[in-house]
Amino acid sequence: MRGEAGWPVRFALAWRILTYDKGRTALAVAGVFLAIVLVFVQLGFFIAVPRGGMLLYDRTRFDLLIASTSYEYQVQPGEFPLSRLERAKTAPEVALASPLYFGSAKWRSGEDGKAPDVFVIGLDPRDRIFASEDINLQLNVLDRTHTVLVDSMTRSMFGPLTTGRTVEIDDDKVKIGGNYVLGTGFMGLGVILVSAQNFVHLFPYRQLDQVNLGLIQLKPGVDPHHAAASLRTLLGGDTRIFTRPELETHETAYWTTRTSVGLLFGSGLIISFIVGVMVVYQILATQVSRQLPQFATLKAVGYGDRFLGGTVIIMALLIVMAGFFPALAAALGIYAVIRDETLLPVEMSGTRIAAVFAATLAMAAASALLSMSSLRRADPADLFG
Amino acid sequence: MITTSNLGRGRRLVGFVPLAWRNLLANKPRLLRSSGGIGFAVLLMLMQLGFERAFFNASLEVIRLLDGDIFLQRASKYRFATKDPFPARDLEAARAVPGVASAWPLYAAWHELFWRNPADGKNFLVRVFAFDPDHPVLSLPELDANLKDLSDLDTAIVDRRARRFLGMDPPPPAAELNGSKIKIIGSFALGPDFENDGTVVIGDRTFAKLLPNPRGGRPDVELGVIKLTRESDPIAVRQAIAAAVPSDVAVLTKAQLLEIERKFQADVSSAGPIFAMGTLVGFVVGMLIAYQIIYTDVAEQQPQYATMKAMGYRTRYLVQVVLEQAILSALAGWVPAWLVSILLFRIVGAVALLPLHMTMELALISLLLTLSMCLISAILAVRRVISADPAEVF
Repeated sequence: MRGEAGWPVRFALAWRILTYDKGRTALAVAGVFLAIVLVFVQLGFFIAVPRGGMLLYDRTRFDLLIASTSYEYQVQPGEFPLSRLERAKTAPEVALASPLYFGSAKWRSGEDGKAPDVFVIGLDPRDRIFASEDINLQLNVLDRTHTVLVDSMTRSMFGPLTTGRTVEIDDDKVKIGGNYVLGTGFMGLGVILVSAQNFVHLFPYRQLDQVNLGLIQLKPGVDPHHAAASLRTLLGGDTRIFTRPELETHETAYWTTRTSVGLLFGSGLIISFIVGVMVVYQILATQVSRQLPQFATLKAVGYGDRFLGGTVIIMALLIVMAGFFPALAAALGIYAVIRDETLLPVEMSGTRIAAVFAATLAMAAASALLSMSSLRRADPADLFG
Repeated sequence: MITTSNLGRGRRLVGFVPLAWRNLLANKPRLLRSSGGIGFAVLLMLMQLGFERAFFNASLEVIRLLDGDIFLQRASKYRFATKDPFPARDLEAARAVPGVASAWPLYAAWHELFWRNPADGKNFLVRVFAFDPDHPVLSLPELDANLKDLSDLDTAIVDRRARRFLGMDPPPPAAELNGSKIKIIGSFALGPDFENDGTVVIGDRTFAKLLPNPRGGRPDVELGVIKLTRESDPIAVRQAIAAAVPSDVAVLTKAQLLEIERKFQADVSSAGPIFAMGTLVGFVVGMLIAYQIIYTDVAEQQPQYATMKAMGYRTRYLVQVVLEQAILSALAGWVPAWLVSILLFRIVGAVALLPLHMTMELALISLLLTLSMCLISAILAVRRVISADPAEVF
């Protein structure tokens, strides 16, 4: 029976139909291309926003993070006593326990007399906490009094960030000791690094013995989960200890559920997907109704609904495939632009490509299913209607 | 016998819409498909445009609520939601200027006060506004009923539309701000923005107690809210106020205050371009779909068009029919999309607590975009009608 005809035949038929009307097929591919680009972009932001919130963590070296039990997210971490960090240092697994102090101050030397808020990170310059050795080498300059390092992504409203410039922060005059390349993420419009000593000078009401976060580096070969467990018993209940995966889960949940980000880009994602389905469906349905006499003829000579359905599915797949790969290339370009503009780590990962590819296949399947009903109208008797 | 003049009348009889209308209704499944296809593209545009407006409106909402004609703020303040206050005596200097009816302070804190949710004991940063309850500066009608009690120390009115985890809806009888016990005496509906999860309104005395001025005395003023007497000349009074206060205090109208904030949001956030891109994709995809629909339709009706040509109808008339049909398709897609978006705005607005509103402006913009999207496609597709050759009918 011809109904059992193989997939190569279906493929050949689908190919013939699509190449018969090249202009129309090109339109369909363009529509699918746009829809997939939009899916990629929405997904990119959906993932970039939590990653932007993780920027400091992603670019510092630590195995465990000690925080207060009132820890919310990186910019709102709460405080805990430095003594906890010192006790952690005594644990045999721990190689380094380094405090971080966070504060917000007025940068009173902005453009047009404006005073933007600057996010201040206080740290111990001797601890090489950054993943980038370039930044670690720059930290020496922080040992000088009233000297700060400025993130190169600090907005232009802060005025020139030239090394040696003296600026006013709150009521203090400080000197820019250099720029470092890390990115401001969602910490603020501008970020500076200072030594812990300069930090308490800048924020007189803050004390060195209350820290915001503690970065723990473990000795080589130590399992972070075991170390976290033993530190929890060592430090007692008033601190919280995160391994890196736990921290990532926590921060991602914060950004996607506590802010509107998840809903905003999530709904954009869904609508772009549906628009993609609509475009492919539109093309398939038109092609099917245009080729209806031919399909009916095929039926009359013994090809079954399954054969015709298979052909429509292949048409759908061919259209979305032709749209997917250029869309992937375009998305790579757009991601690069976003990365350069924001320093957010918007990266194309294998899983992301796979996810969008799966969504693309689903797009094809959904639109093929929708157009099956037009196919069923292919009635051999109509041929002579 | 058919004469040209008869035809002319016949053309008028066919009228402005009926042929396009009948064409549209002739194939119901296709009508459904086309309004579905165009509709989703319109929905994408509407959602993106709505989100964009919600993003900006959320941060402008409070400024719009300020009840004054002229505002004083520190000149170095680069946006509304940042603490950069000026001394209370500068506001008093402004109050003494002739033509000023009233001048009262708004105190504010965005990053200083933590609200303790009494339900789970967790602390969250909240936005706090404060003023003298005898001289309210925010026009929130719901506040007025509770103003008398707000004069009592340690009382507060909270935002029912704050993010759920703050536990302000329904308002609890009591909570804590920075560890101080606070009695909750009422609530209002405002909503969060992209940085603030919730809002608390307190009296000036409670504010001074929670955040005492480090230099002693009354708290510094975040914003001076000035009302002018009815007969005064706003421009002259503004100049007089500017002369009466130090140069590091800016004298602004509400429009200027809104403009500073809008400009700040547009400069620092990538929300504008993100949503503009979504809208553009919706437009282009919608155009592709509309082109597809109109082109197919024209192609299928070509024998009929050719017949009409043979009967003496002008190409212009046939083109007009196609364009009318494009307008009808646009409406058939826009109306359901508009209705669905009203529903989606409701749902997403309630879940995400965003000010997603279907405004006349948004409806008009999306309608214009939809019409131009369909008309451009129709113009591209109509070449087929022009080439309709009566001889080809056979």
